[in-house]
Amino acid sequence: MEGQKNSFRWRLASLAIVGLLAAAGFDIVTGLEHWPFGSYPMYSLLYPQQLSWLRLYGVTNRGEILLRGERDFAPFDEARLTVALERLARAPGGDQKLDQALRNLMRLHGRLEARRSPAGPPLRALRLYAVRWVLRPGFEGSESPQERTLVAEVTDEAGR
Amino acid sequence: MILRGWRRYWFTPETAEYLALIRLVCYGLLFLIYLPLDDRGWTQVSRVFWMPISAFRILSGPPRDPALIGILQILWKVSLLTSALGLVSRCSMALAAALGFFLLGLPNCFGKIHHIDGFPVLLLLVLALSRASDALSLDRAWRPKRKPNTGPSAGYGSPVRLAQTLFLLVFFAAGVSKLRNGGLAWMTADNMRAIWLGELFTHTPPTALGAWLSKPAWLSQFAAVATVLVELSALPALFVRRLRVLTLVGLLVMQVFIALMLGVYFTPHLVGYALFLPWERYYSRSAAARRSPRHRCAPRLRRRAHGPPRPAGECG
Repeated sequence: MEGQKNSFRWRLASLAIVGLLAAAGFDIVTGLEHWPFGSYPMYSLLYPQQLSWLRLYGVTNRGEILLRGERDFAPFDEARLTVALERLARAPGGDQKLDQALRNLMRLHGRLEARRSPAGPPLRALRLYAVRWVLRPGFEGSESPQERTLVAEVTDEAGR
Repeated sequence: MILRGWRRYWFTPETAEYLALIRLVCYGLLFLIYLPLDDRGWTQVSRVFWMPISAFRILSGPPRDPALIGILQILWKVSLLTSALGLVSRCSMALAAALGFFLLGLPNCFGKIHHIDGFPVLLLLVLALSRASDALSLDRAWRPKRKPNTGPSAGYGSPVRLAQTLFLLVFFAAGVSKLRNGGLAWMTADNMRAIWLGELFTHTPPTALGAWLSKPAWLSQFAAVATVLVELSALPALFVRRLRVLTLVGLLVMQVFIALMLGVYFTPHLVGYALFLPWERYYSRSAAARRSPRHRCAPRLRRRAHGPPRPAGECG
């Protein structure tokens, strides 16, 4: 009886192990993503010497200011926000979706800013740019983009 | 032959304490790592960003109630703590796994999957299915009459083995992805340098190490080749103990450099590295030290080599 019970447990455990390994192995072999499994493709592409990225700039009374993911649009971080905006831009009806997205980001920014002390200048508009750098050893990350193209813009609904 | 190998690999008997210590360490670490987690902000994000993954597709849209998310977060963190302590263990571990899936998966439904939290979710699932609370738990201490059979058993070893395997497969998958998507050209100095320099603009690294290390080409070349080799070695490391140590050290060093140079923090993976440490040995050493007053005094006696020795049993 005890032996039968052990054998059943052994088979059940083996089945669970095989199931989890099969799920993990499937994503590794196919390169697909079934979270929490995955093929872990981060940094797996070939990176050109020319970096193209999306950046958000806020328009204030004092001019344009660079806005960054986590600091200005929490809970988004920079990588997630940029990829999300890229996906929206490529999706059908991309312009309308980007417009909705930027309006929401403006509200998120406003809420964060209201909690800061001292609060920064209010945004009159939010602009999404495609920016580009040709990467060179010695760059420090603070260099301005060598090229900037406006992708989308929303203005404050209150018309400030 | 294969069946025997399978049994030996997965079902080598271990003690209940072995698995219980892993429970304590893993849930304790996850509790500390995820204590600052706050998903309530996602309730304020527009539906236009909602791109559900995995089981989240069954939801009709993003959650909208910050109070509900707040309660779920508190429940999850408490369940991690009670799982570590072995309090209402079965319930706690099941709750920790289910809520962990939801709370760690939710941010990934807003445009991009971050590959930081996948392994902890799998670990929580494996531990929830295990008999990790058979020893060193408050349940056991408070209900001594309901003692389970805690002799060495395969059931205490296989969950840890499975978690270790899933952890190393994460890195093997990353290595395979690089070769699949980038080919051998991924391992060139130019590619590595472009990653390091690009991250200076797209992330907020805590140091300027990326800018500095990208100057000599040989260093980028070395790092590119070493990254792929160390990641691919994760699969054979599952079976070769000596290689495992080297691989784990290599992976840890790699992730420390990723944090310093790219500003990407794989902190939850610390729990994966902890799976490989001999906690039982540390525990028996500290237990022996606690039991034996002579043992406890020994280091002091050695330090007092130039003075008169203390009488046995006197610790000072």
